[in-house]
Amino acid sequence: MRPGAESATARRAVWRPVLNAVSRYWTVVALIAAWALWIRVENLNQIVAPTPAAVFGDVLGHPTVYAADLGWTLLNACAGLILGMALGAGSAVAVWASPVLSGLMTPMALIMRSVPVVAMIPVIAQVAGFGNTAVLAVTVVVSFFPAFVMAGSGLRSAPAATSDLFTVLHASRPTRLRLLLLPNAAGALLVALRLTAPTTVLAAMLAEYLLGTHGLGKLFADSVTFMDTARAWGTALVATVVSVGCFIAARAAERHGTARFS
Amino acid sequence: MIKAEHIAGLPEAPLDTSGSPGPAGPPGQPAAIVLRAVQKEFALRRGRTVQALDGVDLTVRAGEFVALLGPSGCGKSTVLRMVAGLDEPTSGEVLVEDRPPAALVRDHRLGVAFQDHALLPWATTFANIALPFRVAGRAVDRERVGALIDLVGLNGFADARPRQLSGGMRQRVAIARALVLDPEVLLLDEPFGALDAVTRRRMNFELARIWAERRITTLLVTHDVDEAVLLADRVVVLTGRPGRVRHIEEVALPRPRGRDITRDPGFHETVDRLTELLDESAE
Repeated sequence: MRPGAESATARRAVWRPVLNAVSRYWTVVALIAAWALWIRVENLNQIVAPTPAAVFGDVLGHPTVYAADLGWTLLNACAGLILGMALGAGSAVAVWASPVLSGLMTPMALIMRSVPVVAMIPVIAQVAGFGNTAVLAVTVVVSFFPAFVMAGSGLRSAPAATSDLFTVLHASRPTRLRLLLLPNAAGALLVALRLTAPTTVLAAMLAEYLLGTHGLGKLFADSVTFMDTARAWGTALVATVVSVGCFIAARAAERHGTARFS
Repeated sequence: MIKAEHIAGLPEAPLDTSGSPGPAGPPGQPAAIVLRAVQKEFALRRGRTVQALDGVDLTVRAGEFVALLGPSGCGKSTVLRMVAGLDEPTSGEVLVEDRPPAALVRDHRLGVAFQDHALLPWATTFANIALPFRVAGRAVDRERVGALIDLVGLNGFADARPRQLSGGMRQRVAIARALVLDPEVLLLDEPFGALDAVTRRRMNFELARIWAERRITTLLVTHDVDEAVLLADRVVVLTGRPGRVRHIEEVALPRPRGRDITRDPGFHETVDRLTELLDESAE
């Protein structure tokens, strides 16, 4: 290869990742630039709206403050997600197994879906009390419905030929559930995970804001109370990044699971 | 080479209802599958019905390979589904080994392979073939599963998932799975219907070889005349909807049937005759 061609290849190797990053994330950069421009043009006070530099500075300058509350929020979100999805999938199996339970569970699940979680929080607080139990209950409620619907749909969508095969093999209902329907529903459950994971983080934060004693939501509430706007916005920034991270992780799990189960 | 037998090929004159020797299969063998005056209607919307089968009489003897041939929508798959216990006749009787199909299903004595291979996508070749053992609640006979993998020519693919296999290989897995519990009756519903012509022909010879080793009573549903003549002892031609037995062709080609059989003038003569009958049935 000629020396000129070699250096051109090396230049392309350096620039390609940069160009890729720009083409993927330019909207984020544009958003931050618009945010900075808006504050400058409107000449807003730091108490009304902090600059990007102030918010990023607060997050990067006080990582331990954020980390402790982030840990609580993630714990609430993960526990709620696992419990909610397990309850949703379990209820879907119960509905599949019993028409009586179907008549009972389906309207209840629809109510849980139709009423916004914010409206349910006072009721949950009355039942579970103010504190972490109520926060956990909110995240469970948020995670329950997608898992219930998607698992139910997965249980009903086994291919007709495979269902016929199990009939000819004289499979009992538990055997059919174990060997065919549950593995068949795994892909749908992973879709529910992808849909729910980021929402659960935000639901945990909302519940912590209204009811909690720890977590990013509580940090946000305290920051607003003490007019520490940079910290309040920093909390929102961390929550957004974590939600996106949860979405990406859940999507990776879904892709892995889809490759495994289909 | 081929003994063709045209039997008063009219819908009103069913060919074989008695289970007697002769056109019913190899003489001296007991009847394995019997259909007597079978009618099947399917309910449509607004109380309307469609008649799929009308007075079908058929006997398949033990150890016999019978192919059901007919135009699309003539009810041949319905016949197979009734023999498998997946559908009930509206009237008439279906018996397998002198019992209702459900009894054979309960004993796990029925093997099936459909056009859709119906393999579990998350399971390996080995696990898919071993599935009937697990469904029946029996310990997996690893040696038998291994022998079947060998029989269908899938050595080296035991750990492969269905999406890693070609269409022909998937159908081989489906056939091995159908054979794993050593069934008394094998039901094949266009198992090679989704394959290209070359693969399909290759799979026909594979099936002929596998069947020659086991000689299980087999009912094959197909719309491919070559496939029917190549594999079967008898070919039953159904009329268009509602399906009735129009003609039974006894195929006396010697077994084992290899590739040279397709060069036999008798083979082509039979195929042409059956194709003509099929053409008339479709009109």
